[in-house]
Amino acid sequence: MDIELTINGERTTVEAGSADDLATVLRQHGHIGVKCGCDGGTCGASKVFVDGDVRMACGMAAVDADGSEIQTVAALGTQDDLHPVQQAFVDNFAVQCGFCIPGMVIQAVALLDSNPDPTEREVREALDDNVCRCTGYQKPVEAVLDAAERMRGAQSVAADGGHSATVPPNGNESTRCCGGGCDE
Amino acid sequence: MSSDDETPTADGGTASQSEAVEDGQSEEHPLEWDEPENNDKAPDERASVSHRTEKYDDRKLVTGQAKYTADYEEQYPDLAYAAVVRSDIPHGRVTDIDTSEAEAMDGVDAVLTPESDAVPDAKYTSAGQSYPEPSPWDMHVLNEHVRYIGDPIAAVAAENRATASAAAEAIEVSYEEDDYVTDPEEAFDDDAPQLFEDGEVENEIVGHDYDRNRMAHIGGELGDVDAALDGETHVHETEWETIRQSHANVEKHTSLAYTNEDDRHVLITSTQVPNHTRRQLAHLFDIPIRDIRVQKPRVGGGFGGKQAMVVEPIPLSLSLATDRPVLYEASREEEFYAMRSRHPMKVKAKTAVTDDGDIEAIDIYALSNTGAYGSHGMTVAGNVGSKPLPLYSKVPNARFEADIVHTNTPQTGAMRGYGAPQGTLALEGHLDEVARDLGLDPIEFRRRHHMEVGDLDEIAGMMGGEGANRRIRSCGLDECIERGKDAIGYDDLEQPDEDHLHRGIGMALSAQGTGVAGDELGAAQIMMNEDGSFHLQVGGVDIGTGADTAFLQIAAEVLGCDEDDIIVKSSDTDVTPFDYGAYASSTTYISGMAVKKAAEDAKARILDWGSKLLGEPVEALETGDGTVYSEASSDSVTLEDIGYEAAYGDDEREHILGKGSHCTEESPPPFAAQFADVTVDETTGEFEVHKLVVAVDCGVAINPGMAEGQIEGANHMSYEMAVSEGITLDDEGRAEVADFDEYGLPPATETPPIESILVETHEPTGPFGAKSVAEVPTNTVPPALSNAVRDAVGVRVREMPITAEKIKAQLDERNP
Repeated sequence: MDIELTINGERTTVEAGSADDLATVLRQHGHIGVKCGCDGGTCGASKVFVDGDVRMACGMAAVDADGSEIQTVAALGTQDDLHPVQQAFVDNFAVQCGFCIPGMVIQAVALLDSNPDPTEREVREALDDNVCRCTGYQKPVEAVLDAAERMRGAQSVAADGGHSATVPPNGNESTRCCGGGCDE
Repeated sequence: MSSDDETPTADGGTASQSEAVEDGQSEEHPLEWDEPENNDKAPDERASVSHRTEKYDDRKLVTGQAKYTADYEEQYPDLAYAAVVRSDIPHGRVTDIDTSEAEAMDGVDAVLTPESDAVPDAKYTSAGQSYPEPSPWDMHVLNEHVRYIGDPIAAVAAENRATASAAAEAIEVSYEEDDYVTDPEEAFDDDAPQLFEDGEVENEIVGHDYDRNRMAHIGGELGDVDAALDGETHVHETEWETIRQSHANVEKHTSLAYTNEDDRHVLITSTQVPNHTRRQLAHLFDIPIRDIRVQKPRVGGGFGGKQAMVVEPIPLSLSLATDRPVLYEASREEEFYAMRSRHPMKVKAKTAVTDDGDIEAIDIYALSNTGAYGSHGMTVAGNVGSKPLPLYSKVPNARFEADIVHTNTPQTGAMRGYGAPQGTLALEGHLDEVARDLGLDPIEFRRRHHMEVGDLDEIAGMMGGEGANRRIRSCGLDECIERGKDAIGYDDLEQPDEDHLHRGIGMALSAQGTGVAGDELGAAQIMMNEDGSFHLQVGGVDIGTGADTAFLQIAAEVLGCDEDDIIVKSSDTDVTPFDYGAYASSTTYISGMAVKKAAEDAKARILDWGSKLLGEPVEALETGDGTVYSEASSDSVTLEDIGYEAAYGDDEREHILGKGSHCTEESPPPFAAQFADVTVDETTGEFEVHKLVVAVDCGVAINPGMAEGQIEGANHMSYEMAVSEGITLDDEGRAEVADFDEYGLPPATETPPIESILVETHEPTGPFGAKSVAEVPTNTVPPALSNAVRDAVGVRVREMPITAEKIKAQLDERNP
């Protein structure tokens, strides 16, 4: 059947069989930032936003996403203009093979949207179903805490006119889309 | 066969080695190393090396743009997908394969069985090692004689994944079942089922005895261990057991094969060993090496699991049969039962210690369960002794022996640490217990015996292998211990208020190697572009470790340019020079040194052009900040001008090229000291690990940020080995694990904080002083945690994983 999706701001009609999962469909349409590590919702690599909620795309039937707005990691920032969470992962050496990172970044953005000042424990709880095999969790956790600080800093900088901004202030709810190219 | 890879041989000569070290020196392995002048600068004198340079592919990785093997799918509209039929009995012969239903299905392109023309019949090993291969050729691509639940029998290509899976399920296999054996000790019994007939295996390994299911027996001795054991009053013996650990690489084994417009067979594949894979495929398919191209894209984790040609022959066979590109991506379930795992082992440790606490002899024996096939069997078992034992190279008498046996269980292979974790658990747990029994401080006990700068590592020598008799030229063990003690709070540990809770600290040392002494090769070349930028082509393999970034830093340091002015292309056998691959902690040391040599070669040409353009002698010139400059005159010329002049200038125009190859007899050990802080509940055995600290001497860290990431990731994997059950099997050897949850990977909330400490020394044989970092912290948590539990409540867990139940059982036994 045909289903309608808005993927990273772009409305599209895709064909999906009843057995197709959302990750497969997204990947077939070139969204390779959606990774498949486990075949069934246990590693977190396929995390995307579906209507603003974090979902493991490999564990969700594509037809259930009919009419939804999907955001993949590619919507968060570009290589030249990273989301603060992405930037923090880079700056904290939290990325090795990178296969789990899109899912981790999505989960971290979702956490910081709802809880801008998480404790280390809260960060670990948020990442609990994201499997990282190269770096473990020490540096990713540090990266998320660092991103939180940067994003809080960016907010307070914005409040004083943005004179001393050191990070791109594109890290909040309103910029969870493609950063200018989408309708949101 | 020759067996000089990561390889001990059966007999270890000792006399000549002992003579060689009487004066503390030997010609072959002098303490003073003839080190190039530019190799040893202080970190702050360097522009690129020793800096926390951003990982060059990170921006692509965090935005989801980087391409792994499966991401090439969209480039091949004609792509077919593979699925594999695997044995569901532990041992037997296939008597019939009914493929009729599968072949009749819409969308099925090919169904292959062992009889099919496109399926090679040759024997091979999946182990991706040097040549001659130190693993037995005992496998077929598809099998009629199946030896474990998971052995591949048939393969399917179809237009999509679902059809491929459905077709594979529609294939009916009939068997004649044989008896099976899954226990490695029972495999030795005279009446045990036999997996291989004598003479059936090609490229047999020293000490094989297939009548007893023994794939190899190895060993070596230094001095006279039996005499020393007879002579001392304190003789201790302990036995240890390790888990069948999964690599659990998040990217599954994935491989895409097709034949290109030049009639050449291309594999885009998630591998650690592109050149070995090319050679192995050429052998299997009887295709000239030159006609195979292996391209390694981004790799989503390897950890040794991809130091093997695990899946590649399947898509290549199917591609040859269908004339279409074929992608094979293992399922997560297959990852656990049909890919590779760490060899589970039982390791015995025995020591003789004097009344004064001097260790007179160490005797280690390992029984390694290699599963149905022998890939990496001997070499991994060799490292059980040859990696940890040299920590105590001052001990005069040492022996190591290992039996490697076949059972009807899933295949094992290389895994980060490569035998050292099993050996380190036994040795470091054992010595800790000995110290406590003798009333000695376990740390001070180790300090009396551990290796130091200047020592000749005779224990590595006793295990054989050219050049294994290493001189230790860098060793930061004392500093590792001191800084680790401080970080864990060793001297001011506070006990909990509750009487039933007890806190303890355990520590363990570790040593590894850096590359395989006498058996490695890395090569690189650098081309200068006319705009002053460079292309670096290097055979070295980045599997996510950041190796490409380290290569860029090394090249930039030599060339005096920014890393951004170098494009790196690694691991494409059509484009990049030869390399043995990413294993044995060799990449930065071996391939990195090749990069350094290539950069120096290019730099010599650049300085010649600088000399011509500046009118000053080469000796007066240096590179830096994107220029060639003269300190004497302060004149300079940019690399861009040199690139332009070389390409478009006078009649002696040239393309500035640099090349470098590196092989060495050296394999300097990195060192680590691990600390674990634990509280144990005496009433239940439950325990909480508060913190892990690991201090690592990796020589100079080319990129300290990346080195920390390696250390923490390795330590996380080591922690898993200490507390997770690994891949458990049922009585028939069937893996009881199908996903990460069942496997029991410790998630973020169940992983203690890990503090990594870089203890930098300078290793004169390495590029800018570097040795390895990726494996040594994989070895240390199991013994440190066992030691910590012992420290806290006085009981000892020797069988991994360490669980509350096992601690409780020991406590109950002590206090019935």
